[in-house]
Amino acid sequence: MASVSIRNVRKSYGPVEIIKGVSIDIQDGEFVILVGPSGCGKSTLLRMIAGLEEISGGTVAIDDRVVNDMPPKDRDIAMVFQNYALYPHMTIADNMSFALRLKNTAKSEITAKVERAAGILGLGPLLDRFPRQLSGGQRQRVAMGRAIVRDPKVFLFDEPLSNLDAKLRVQMRTEIKEMHQRLKTTTVYVTHDQIEAMTMADKIVVMHDGIIEQIGAPLDLYDHPANMFVAGFIGSPAMNFIPGSIGGDGFTTEDGSRLPLGGRVPAASDGRPAVYGVRPEHFRLADEGLAAEVVVVEPTGSETQMVLRPLGTKAGREDRKRELTWVLRERTGARPGEVVRIAPDPALAHLFNPDTGLRL
Amino acid sequence: MSRPLRKLLDKAGMAVCVLLLVSPALLFFLWMLSLSLKFEIDNGAYPPILIPERFAWKNYTTILEGNSFLLYFWNSLIVTGAATLFALLVGVPAGYGIARMRAHKSAVVIMIARMTPGLSFLIPLFLLFQWLGLLGTLWPQIIIHLVVTVPIVIWIMIGYFETTPMELEEAAMVDGATRWQIFAKVALPIAKPGIVVAFILSVIFSWNNFVFGIVLASRETRTLPVAVYNMLSFEQVSWGPLAAAALVVTLPVLILTVAAQRQIVAGLTAGAVKGG
Ligand SMILES: Nc1ncnc2c1ncn2[C@@H]1O[C@H](COP(=O)(O)OP(=O)(O)O)[C@@H](O)[C@H]1O
Ligand SMILES: [Mg+2]
Repeated sequence: MASVSIRNVRKSYGPVEIIKGVSIDIQDGEFVILVGPSGCGKSTLLRMIAGLEEISGGTVAIDDRVVNDMPPKDRDIAMVFQNYALYPHMTIADNMSFALRLKNTAKSEITAKVERAAGILGLGPLLDRFPRQLSGGQRQRVAMGRAIVRDPKVFLFDEPLSNLDAKLRVQMRTEIKEMHQRLKTTTVYVTHDQIEAMTMADKIVVMHDGIIEQIGAPLDLYDHPANMFVAGFIGSPAMNFIPGSIGGDGFTTEDGSRLPLGGRVPAASDGRPAVYGVRPEHFRLADEGLAAEVVVVEPTGSETQMVLRPLGTKAGREDRKRELTWVLRERTGARPGEVVRIAPDPALAHLFNPDTGLRL
Repeated sequence: MSRPLRKLLDKAGMAVCVLLLVSPALLFFLWMLSLSLKFEIDNGAYPPILIPERFAWKNYTTILEGNSFLLYFWNSLIVTGAATLFALLVGVPAGYGIARMRAHKSAVVIMIARMTPGLSFLIPLFLLFQWLGLLGTLWPQIIIHLVVTVPIVIWIMIGYFETTPMELEEAAMVDGATRWQIFAKVALPIAKPGIVVAFILSVIFSWNNFVFGIVLASRETRTLPVAVYNMLSFEQVSWGPLAAAALVVTLPVLILTVAAQRQIVAGLTAGAVKGG
């Protein structure tokens, strides 16, 4: 177990800077998830922690010891790769004990540790098989077993669930979380899936284009996104953004409708352009609300998702962005073409600066 | 058309194609076999006879009885064995290095060495061997066979190591392996089918090579193909023993190939079907 401290880390490939100065503090035993769209530099950052990628600037420290120049083998970390990277020529037991055998651990100790890990992951009957004889989910477990057996200072995961089908993914999510609660090993986990991040993390780091947009607990990010990127990235379906301006004690949309602000008007902001952000589940039917035409109704059973087009906007491509998503818990008889009036809950609405994207 | 019939036709078509492709090689082989089992009289017969009435086993017994045959066989074994062993010792790590460092330019240099006609190495090397006093031993032939075997091994191994995913080696790195341990415990075992293919091709090319031997070998250091060639040139040509000798020369390679057939196919198709 260990803390990990990332200080102003940079990474360039030639002239292209991929990681542009990133700082994260990871406490002992914490489960931290790096999340962000594909290509934002999550894997690169993780690989720098592992020592598989050179650090162009800044420092990475494990337990207060700077490891920039330490090769991976001396860092005492274990990594689970996206494609599992199991050694195809070794049995499951040998895969799991490889690291221990390299360290010349006593045979009896190896057997005990492998059996314990196999027990945790339900791999007992598979120990003599080869990776090619296992299903995707089983291989995934072996990859985790290989990490557990090591009892390392830090676990690193790079999108470990992305090759599994949806159902297995949900199951493994729970298993990984349980495993962490049991072992309490410091974990850095990379994913592009914000639901994985929300459900598993103690702390989420939202990355975008090589920088950190926000760091916080899952519900913190959900309730208080620091900017439009985080607001749009966390939460599914995504937050609705309505452009307009602040005026009086409310918000005026571009087509002149009024939205309530619940008295939370930022100081000296009369007439100032802004973006009104509201999550799909924070609308309700209201006579005085926005008038919008129902475009699509998608019932999932537990809830209903609706796409609405505010009156006054056209069906063209450009106006697709103006469409609103509404999620309601109740079932509804609404049909496409109908006009409904909805109002956001002002206490749960967000305001953003349209130029910087920052929260107002 | 019904599906089973269609499948059958597909298979038959495939068989015909394969037969057409391999038939020239097969025919030569059969004709050699036939020659080696016929007496001189039958060899000249018109129309040609494929299967003679009496088998001339004597063709085989004469070569085997000839007191030099075993010596030549032994020479071949030493030259090919040593040239292949050295080639693997040098070529497998070299192929790994080139593949991992993406140093394809050096691979091209090796290819150029391979393209240069072997004879152009011969004269300077001949003088060198003479100066070293190695002529009359098997060393000159072993060394010059490396010109053939090393590039083969390197090229096959580059291709093979390139198909092993980098992620596996990174996993080993994180697991605490040193560079050498990664090579020995991960890269090498995974590349085993590639090594088998490299080994066999190296053996075949070295075993069948006779240009070098003609120049470098003395009467005592001849390899089998050189000995066969000499039968052709100096004695009056008798087709039966010649064909028999040629077959005997081919036999070890043939046996080796058949024995390692599965690995060869696995090695040649690796990368095409990469299952974890
Ligand atoms: N070896 C490399 N050379 C050049 N660019 C690279 C290299 N590896 C990654 N990149 C670039 O760095 C960016 C971040 O990659 P990565 O960390 O894999 O993203 P993520 O894991 O968030 O999807 C990508 O734009 C990718 O093209
Ligand atoms: Mg990635």
